[in-house]
Amino acid sequence: MLFLQLLLQGIQTGALYALTAAGFALIFGATRIFHFAHGTAFTIAGYVFLACWRIDQPVLGALAAIAAAVLFGLGMERFVYRPIQRHEGSFFTVFVAAFGVAVVVQNLVGMIAGRGFASVDTSLSMAEEVLPEIFLAPIFWVAISVAVVLFAALSAFLTRTHAGVALRALAQNPDLLRAYGLSSNRLSMLAFAVGSAMVAPAAILTAMTTGLNEAVGHHVMLISMAATIVGGVGSLRGAALAGLMLGVAESVALQFVDTQWAEGVSFLVLFAFIIFRPSGIFGVAQTR
Amino acid sequence: MNDTAIQALGLSAGYGGREVLQDVSLSLKAGEILCLIGHNGAGKSTLLRVLFGLHRPSAGNMRVFGQMPANYTPAALGAAGVALVPEGRGVFPDLTVDEIFGLALWSAGVAKSAQRERIEEVLEVLPRIREFRTRRAGTLSGGQQQMVSIGRALLTRPKVLLLDEPSIGLAPKLFQDLIRPIATLRETRGMAILLVEQNVREAFAISDRVLVMRSGKFIFEGAPSDLDDHAKLMELF
Repeated sequence: MLFLQLLLQGIQTGALYALTAAGFALIFGATRIFHFAHGTAFTIAGYVFLACWRIDQPVLGALAAIAAAVLFGLGMERFVYRPIQRHEGSFFTVFVAAFGVAVVVQNLVGMIAGRGFASVDTSLSMAEEVLPEIFLAPIFWVAISVAVVLFAALSAFLTRTHAGVALRALAQNPDLLRAYGLSSNRLSMLAFAVGSAMVAPAAILTAMTTGLNEAVGHHVMLISMAATIVGGVGSLRGAALAGLMLGVAESVALQFVDTQWAEGVSFLVLFAFIIFRPSGIFGVAQTR
Repeated sequence: MNDTAIQALGLSAGYGGREVLQDVSLSLKAGEILCLIGHNGAGKSTLLRVLFGLHRPSAGNMRVFGQMPANYTPAALGAAGVALVPEGRGVFPDLTVDEIFGLALWSAGVAKSAQRERIEEVLEVLPRIREFRTRRAGTLSGGQQQMVSIGRALLTRPKVLLLDEPSIGLAPKLFQDLIRPIATLRETRGMAILLVEQNVREAFAISDRVLVMRSGKFIFEGAPSDLDDHAKLMELF
């Protein structure tokens, strides 16, 4: 029964990982920018929601969280990554710049909202016994539903709208896109907007379950990065599936290891993929 | 309406301080097929990139049907009636042909109600595309990909078509099958075509005029028949 309980918890956590990983994979796949501050968008969205919740404005809080994540993503694209790319900055420059922003935001959040864990109290996170020795909170179903709906919406956006198809084209050949008369800069901003928006629901649901702290973004980023590699770089469904898988692996591992080792399990999975299947679940093997 | 499709004056352009185009001027009339030849690195592709706004000239200006474009961007020049079929296979391998066409129509701002008609127009010119509309471009042969690339450009109903070495990797017969229907568009629609080509024999067969480029400058201008003499052509190269 403990295994089933941990599995269900893992599915809930994995659903949220899937959302953040899909957002990161969308941005990286379309723009080839290693957006290390993706987790920072999660932190900002979560704390904006918390602030609104405390003044009894949960709906406004959800909308403001999405808006904050999107604005942060757009700001990073426009004012950090684009100037670096204009000067042909290296991958390492992009990484350091994003890491710097992430650290600054983490400290600002700690100064403004206080350090340590913060969460919202809601009846949605009150667990009830649904089967003997199996406890589930309504938020479990909310998390699963939100993840499924958003992933389906993202898939539909990428396959059935011209803007979505253009993002897929951007991932394949940005120069050719210009010959089609499209602006790769605008599409890059769209990728950041959509990808960053994906973290907001995950941040809100995390605030309602395990809670947030000012450093939560780093964990989110590491999971997103691991899921993107495990899923296969460039594959959204791969990233989402890998996010789910990592959430389940972290949770189920608790049957065998202490809580502080749970994150390490994700990286064991990552290392196993790097060694045995470096192209990831849905990736295509590259030949030199 | 001005019958000069493109009038470029004193165009210069380069990369990283190296000048590739040097004070180039050209005139392309409506309904004319102008063939541009030259060895690799002569500046032919750069000229096409400048004419489509993909590369900003360091000097000079151009007019499209007598009008200065609002700015030198592909969107502005596309709106003025210029379309480019870039060198290589101008398709996205993971997109289906229909998705590529949809993207082209969207970028050109064609209303949804008019899109079906535009696609039918292209399929009349290149009917074989019907056979593989739902396939991913990456699974098509070189000739089919080139057909899609040209069809994509025609969807915007261009008045000026810039073709950058469409014969690369294609058998001469395949190139003929591809280029001849395009050439008829100058008669039916008065479309001007600037054709950069290495396949001189096939290109000359459909061209009205030839420009030869070397080291960023035009060194010859005349009728294709002027270069029938193989020795003269070799001398220019």
